[in-house]
Amino acid sequence: MDLDALTGCLASSACLVTQGTSGFIIGMLLFLVAVGLTLIFGVLKVVNFSHGAFYMFGAYFAMTAYQLTGSFALAMLCGAAGTAILGLVFERVFMSRVYGSDVLMQLLVCYAFVLIFDDVVRWIWGPEFKSMGMPTAFQVPPLFIGGGVVPPYYLLLIGVALAVAAILGLGLARTRIGKVVRAAAHNPGMVSALGINTGLIYGSVFALGGMLAGLAGALAAPVRSLTPGMGFSVLIESFIVTVIGGMGSILGALLGALLIGLIRSFGSLGFPLFTDGLMYLFMVIVLVARPTGLFGKEVA
Amino acid sequence: MTELQAERAGKPLGVPRIEAKSQRSRYLDVLIAIAAFAVLATLPFLFSSKALLDFVIRCAAFGLFATSLNLLVGYTGMISFGHGMFFGLGAYSFALIMQRTGVPIPVAFICTLLITTVIAAVIGAICVRLKEIYFAFVTLAFQMLIHSMILSWVSLTGGDQGLRGGIPRPVFLGVDLSNYLHLYVVSCALLVIGLLLMRQIAQSPFGYTLRMIRDNAVRASFIGIDVWRAKLTIFVLAALFASTGGIIMSLFVSGAYPEFAFWTISGEGIFINMLGGVTTFLGPMVGTVLLLIMNDTVTRLTEYYGIVLGIVILFFAIGLRKGLMDFVVEWYEVRRDGAKERAR
Amino acid sequence: MLDVQQLSKSFGGVKAADHISLSFADGSLTAVIGPNGAGKSTFFNLITGALKPDSGRVLLNGVDMAGRSPPDIARHGIGRAFQVASIFPSLTVHETMLAAVCADQRRASVLHRRFPLAETRDRAEHAMEMLGLAGKRDRTSATLSHGDQKLLDIALALVLDPKVLLLDEPTAGMGTEERWRMIDKVHELWEQQKITVVFIEHDMDIVFKIAPSIVVLCYGRILATGTPDAIRRNAAVIEAYLGTEHHAGQAT
Repeated sequence: MDLDALTGCLASSACLVTQGTSGFIIGMLLFLVAVGLTLIFGVLKVVNFSHGAFYMFGAYFAMTAYQLTGSFALAMLCGAAGTAILGLVFERVFMSRVYGSDVLMQLLVCYAFVLIFDDVVRWIWGPEFKSMGMPTAFQVPPLFIGGGVVPPYYLLLIGVALAVAAILGLGLARTRIGKVVRAAAHNPGMVSALGINTGLIYGSVFALGGMLAGLAGALAAPVRSLTPGMGFSVLIESFIVTVIGGMGSILGALLGALLIGLIRSFGSLGFPLFTDGLMYLFMVIVLVARPTGLFGKEVA
Repeated sequence: MTELQAERAGKPLGVPRIEAKSQRSRYLDVLIAIAAFAVLATLPFLFSSKALLDFVIRCAAFGLFATSLNLLVGYTGMISFGHGMFFGLGAYSFALIMQRTGVPIPVAFICTLLITTVIAAVIGAICVRLKEIYFAFVTLAFQMLIHSMILSWVSLTGGDQGLRGGIPRPVFLGVDLSNYLHLYVVSCALLVIGLLLMRQIAQSPFGYTLRMIRDNAVRASFIGIDVWRAKLTIFVLAALFASTGGIIMSLFVSGAYPEFAFWTISGEGIFINMLGGVTTFLGPMVGTVLLLIMNDTVTRLTEYYGIVLGIVILFFAIGLRKGLMDFVVEWYEVRRDGAKERAR
Repeated sequence: MLDVQQLSKSFGGVKAADHISLSFADGSLTAVIGPNGAGKSTFFNLITGALKPDSGRVLLNGVDMAGRSPPDIARHGIGRAFQVASIFPSLTVHETMLAAVCADQRRASVLHRRFPLAETRDRAEHAMEMLGLAGKRDRTSATLSHGDQKLLDIALALVLDPKVLLLDEPTAGMGTEERWRMIDKVHELWEQQKITVVFIEHDMDIVFKIAPSIVVLCYGRILATGTPDAIRRNAAVIEAYLGTEHHAGQAT
C-alpha cells in the first residue's frame, strides 16, 4: 500500500491529469467491449463469455493489417470488420444452437471458444508478446494540459469511444432498426410473429457486439502488448463494468467503464498490488447495495 | 375411506416400509464405499506405477471439488462460477497453518474447514440472493478477489511464486503423510468419506428441498421453505468439500499455488460436471476421471491443448447436450422399459 | 377466521388493491370474481406474502400476516395454488408430496436421515388419494396432463393442512367438462376438509352454482359481496361486469 503516492497525486494537477486521462482511456476501451456485452445480453439474453476473444482478435487483425499495409485506418477497419464477421459466424453456427437450453450450456460453449480462440491465436501469431507500435501519424510530441502529459492518440481513442456511445444511444432510441432491436429484446416471439427475422437481428447484434470489441482491440493495439489470453482480463473487467452499470444498459456501461478505469489508474498508485482487488471489491459493494447494478432494471 | 381415516388417525398400517427402504439404501451406499476404498487401497500392492497412484490422488482432490460443485449446480440449480475459490482457500489455509504453527495435521484440517465455513458463509450470504447469471458473476468476482488477494499479499502467500518451502507433516497416531503410501491411503479415505457424506446430503430430506428449489424456488417458498437459508446452507457445505479437495492437493504438491484459486479451476469444475453429467451423483466423479485422462494424454500429444479440449466441450454441449452418465442412465432406462414391455 | 382489513397496494399510480376489507369465516367457501385486471391475483399475492401490502392487515385467527415472508405465512396455515400450475417438474408425484409434508413438519433441512421419512408417508398418501393422484405416484410431474398438474398444485397446498386455501383459477385452461370435474373436486375437498376456501373463477356458471358467497372486485376495490342471488341482482355488478361480459356471451 502506498497511500502517500495517492494523496500526493490527488494534490497535484499534473498527476491528476495524467492519471485521469490514463483512467479515461482504460475506461473507454472497456466501454467498447462492455457495451457489446451488454447489448448482446439485452437482446439475446446470452452472456457472451467469449467476448474477450473478439477484443483479442481485433488487436491481432489490426496489427497484421498495419504491418502489411502500413495504413492505420485500414488496420482499424480490419480489426472491426474481421471481428464483426467472426461474431456473425460464431452466433449463427454455434450460439444459436443453445438459446433454448440453460445458462450452463451457453457458458460452456463460450468457455470452449475461450480455450479454442486463445490457442488459435497462439498457433497463428505465436505465444510471445507482440506489439503493433504507434502509427507514424501519432508520433508527435504529447500535449501538456495543466502540467499533465496527454498523448494525442489518447484523444483519438476517447473521441472514437464517445462517438460510438452517442451513435448507439441515438440509434437505439430513434431509428427503426433500434426499435426493432429493442422490441426483440422485450418480446422475441412477438417480433418474429410480426414477420421480422429474429435470426437476422440476433446475428447482427452479435456481429455489432463483436465489432465493437474488435474495434476496442484494434484501438488498443498501438498502446498495449498483444498476447494470447489478453482477452480474458478485459473480459472479466467488462463483466464487472456491465454488472456495475446494470446488464443491458448502455449508459450504465459507460458510467461503469469510467468508474473502473479511474479505479484502476488511481488505485495503481495507492494499492499497486491490489488494483484488481479494488475493482472486485467495488463490484461487490455495488451489488450488495443494488443487485441489478446502477442502471439495471429490477428483475421479476 | 376407512383405511384412509385409520391412517389419518395415526395408526400405521403395516411397517413404515419407506423408512426401511431408505435405510437399506444407506447401508448399500456404505457397503459400496467400503468396497471402493478396499479396491483403491490395494492398488499400490498390485501396480508399482507411481503415475497411477498420482492419478488417483489428483482424482480424489478434483473429484471432491467437482462433486461438491454438483451439489450446487445439479441439485440446487445454482451455477457458481467461483467455486474454485474454496479449493484454493483450502489449499492455502491448510498449507499456511501447517507451515506457521506446526499443529497436528487433523487440527490443521479442522481449522481449515472452520475458516472455510466462516468465509463461505460471508460470501454466500451476499451471493445466494442473486439469481442465475448474477449469481454466476458475483461468485466469479469473489473468486478473482481471492485470487488477487493471494497474488498481492506476498508476505503471507508468496504471491505469484506460490507457497513454497514444503508442508511439515508430523506423524499423528502412526499416520505419516510424508510417506507416499500413507498420503495415498489418506487421500482415498478422504475421497470415499467425502463422497459418502455428500451422497447422504443429496439423499436426505434436505437434498429433496434442494431439488425443489432447483425446480421451482417460488413454489418451494410457498410450502414453507426458507429458500435463502437452504441455499446458504448448501453453499457452505459444498465449500467445505471443495476445501477438502484443496487440502489433498496442497499435500500432494507440497504447497499451494495461485492457480488453485484461479477462475479456470471453477471453469474446469463446471466442465467436469457437464462431461460426467449432473443428473447422477457419481457423474462428476466420472467426469473428473475423464478430464484428467484427457488432460494427461492431450498435453502429451499436442501443445494446443485448448483447441482439443474446446472441441470436446463443444461436442458435449452442442452435440450430446448432456453428460456421459446422463446418457448411460437414459440408455439403461430405455432398455429396462423395453424389457418391461416385452415381459407384458 | 381470515380477516382482511384495509388492505392496499399500488403500483406506480395504479391502485391494485384499494382498502380492501373482507372476512372469511372458518369453513366458508368464497368465490372472487371480477373483470381482467380487477386485482384478484394481487389480492391473493398480498395475502400470501408474494407482495408486501402498502398498508392494511391480514389477520389469521387474530395474528397479523401482512408483510411477512411467503414461507412464514405458509407455515401459519395459508396455502395457495397458482393460476399456472406451479409444481416441481423433475420430481415424481410421490416425491413432491413427501417433500412437501417434510417441509410442513419442519424437517426440510434434516441432513442425517434418508428421504423419504416414515412420518411423512401417511399424510402424503392421504393427499394423493384425496386428489386422485395415487395411481400416478411414480410419474414425473412434468409428464402429467394439464389437469393433473393443476390437481398436483392444489395437492401441494392441501398437503400442508392449511387453515385457509386460496385457489387462483383452479379451472384455468381447461375444457368445459374438465372444468366441472375440477370444480366438483374442489367442492368435495371443501366439504371433507372443513377448511376455508377462497377461489378465483371466471366462469359465471360455476361461480353461481358452487359458491355460497361471492366477492366482486373491480379496479382494486370491492364492488359487492353477498350470496349468488344478491350478486345477480346487484345493480353495480350488472353495470360494471355482467352487463358487459355476461350478456355478450363471454363466459370466460
